[in-house]
Amino acid sequence: MKKNKNIKMILLFLVPVAFLYISFFIYPLAFVLGTSLTEWNGISAMKFIGLGNYKKLLTDGTFLLSIKNNIIWALSGGFIQIPLATMVALILARKPRGWKTLRTIYFLPNIISAVAIAMMWKAIYNPMYGFLNAFLNLFGIEGHNWLGETATALPAVIAQTVLYIGYFMVIIFAATTTIPKSFYEAAEIDGCTTLQQEWYITLPMIRGILVTTITLAMAYGMRHFEATFLMTSGGPAHSTSVMGLVLYNKMDAFRLGEANATGTILILLGTVVIVLIRKLLSRGDAGSDSVQ
Amino acid sequence: MKALLNTLKWIILIFFLFVALYPLIWLLLASFKTNNLELQQNPFGFPEKWMFVNYYTAIVKAKLPALFIHSIIVAFSAVFVNLLVASMTSFVISREEFKGKNVLLTVLAAGILLPIISFMVPYFTIIQKMRLYDSLLALILVYSAINIPISVFLLTSFMDSIPRELEEAATIDGASFVQRFTKIIVPLSQTGLATAGTFCFIYSWNEFIMALLLTSSESSRTLQLGIRFFTSQFVTNYTAMYAAIVITIVPSIIVYFIFHNKIISGLTAGAVKG
Repeated sequence: MKKNKNIKMILLFLVPVAFLYISFFIYPLAFVLGTSLTEWNGISAMKFIGLGNYKKLLTDGTFLLSIKNNIIWALSGGFIQIPLATMVALILARKPRGWKTLRTIYFLPNIISAVAIAMMWKAIYNPMYGFLNAFLNLFGIEGHNWLGETATALPAVIAQTVLYIGYFMVIIFAATTTIPKSFYEAAEIDGCTTLQQEWYITLPMIRGILVTTITLAMAYGMRHFEATFLMTSGGPAHSTSVMGLVLYNKMDAFRLGEANATGTILILLGTVVIVLIRKLLSRGDAGSDSVQ
Repeated sequence: MKALLNTLKWIILIFFLFVALYPLIWLLLASFKTNNLELQQNPFGFPEKWMFVNYYTAIVKAKLPALFIHSIIVAFSAVFVNLLVASMTSFVISREEFKGKNVLLTVLAAGILLPIISFMVPYFTIIQKMRLYDSLLALILVYSAINIPISVFLLTSFMDSIPRELEEAATIDGASFVQRFTKIIVPLSQTGLATAGTFCFIYSWNEFIMALLLTSSESSRTLQLGIRFFTSQFVTNYTAMYAAIVITIVPSIIVYFIFHNKIISGLTAGAVKG
C-alpha cells in the first residue's frame, strides 16, 4: 500500500474516536478481566487471588440460578420472540390493508424506555389496580399476584419484553423485500399454497437474517437487567435474578473483584452463546449448499 | 381453508396491535383517574372526571421540569458529540486508505456485541478519575461513546454510497482534507446522520443503568431516574405515578412519529448489509 499523503490529517481525525473508544471499551474490558482475579473493595489495595472469585461464584446457588435465568431469557428471545416476529413480518410482507401503519405501531414500544415499560407492566400486573386481573375477572378467572409468586414471576417479567416484537419484525420484514417476486409467481403456477410458499421459499431465503436476529435476541437476553431490577429486584426468593443484577448487587456491596468476575462470565457466556448459536444454525447451510 | 387463514392472519395482526397500544392507552387513561379506588372499580373505562391535577402532582413533587431539562441536555449533547466523532471516523474509513484500517473497523464493530452492563465497575472508576462523577458531562461522554460502534457502522455504509467524483472534482478545485469533510461529506450525509442521531437520541433519552450508577444528586438526575425515585417515594399514589410515566414516554413518541421513516429505513439498511 502506498503511503497516504493525508496521513497526518487521518490521525488527527481519529484522535477523538481513539479517546472515547479506549476509555469506554478497551480499557474497561482489560480492567474487568484483570480485576476479576483480585479481592478488592475499591478502597484498599487489590489482592491477587487467582480464580478465587470464580470458584466462589460458581458454587453460589443464587448465581447459578441467575445463569439459568439468563439462559431462559436468551432462549425466549431467540426461540419465542423471533418466531413471533417472523410470523408477523411474513404476514406484513404480503402487504395487507394498513400494513405501513401496523409496522409503525408494532415498532413503537421499542423506542419507549425500558424503565417506563417496566413500570407500566408492573402497574398492569398489580393484583389490586392492574388491568390484567381485572381483564381475567371478566371471564370469571380469579386474579393472581403475578410478580409476587415464584411460579409466575419469571414468565411475567419475560413476557412483557418478548411480546414486543417490533425491532426484529422490521429487520426480518426488510429481508423479505429482497426476495424476487417471480419466485412466488412460479410457485403459484405450480399450485403452491401461501403457507407452502412461505415455508419453501421465504424462510430458506431469509435464513441469514433469521440467524442474525436469533443471535441478537439471545445476546440481549444474556445482558438483560432493567426490567428485573425495576419489577422484582430479582425476587421473590431470587426466582427472577439475572447476572446483571448480581453484578450490580456485588458492586453495591463493594465486592468489586466478584462484581468483575461476574462481568467476565457475562462477557464470556455471551460470546459463547453467539458463537455456538451461529455454528448450530449455520450447520444446515452446508447441507442446503450440497443440494444445490 | 383460505378464509380460515385470512381470519387467523387478522387475529394475529390485531393481537400484536393490542399488545403494542393497549397498555399505553390504559396507562394514559389511568393517569387521569381520581384515585386508587377508581382504578379498581373502573379499570377499563374513561376517567369519571379528568384529573389533570395528577400531572400537576407528578410535575411538582417529582421535580420533573428540572429532570426533563437534564435529559434534554444529556441527549442532545450526546448526539452532538457522538455524530461529530463518528462522522470524522466514518469519513476517514470510507474515503481514505491507510494501514490498520481493517483492524480499526473490526475493533469498532466488536463493540456492538460487548455487553456494556459488565462495565459497571470500570465506568464508575473512570468517571471518578476524570472527576466527572455526578455530572451531566459524565453521562454525555458515556452515552456518546457507547453509541460509537453503531453510529460508525451506519455512517460508513451511508458514506460509501456517496459518489467519489464529487470529492475528486472538489480536490482539483483545491479543496483541503477538512473542506472535503465539512463542505461535501457532511452536507451529503444528512440522512445517515439523522438515522444515527435518532438512534443515539433514543438510547440516551431512555438509558437507565449508567445514569443510576454515575449520578447521585438531583442536580444531575435524568427523567428515567426520576420516575423510579418517584415510584419509590409515592408508592400509594398510583394515578400520579402513572402521570409521571406518561410524561417520560411522550417525548420518545413525538420523536418517533417525526422520524419513524428514518428509524425504520436505518434499521433496514443495517439489516440488508449485515
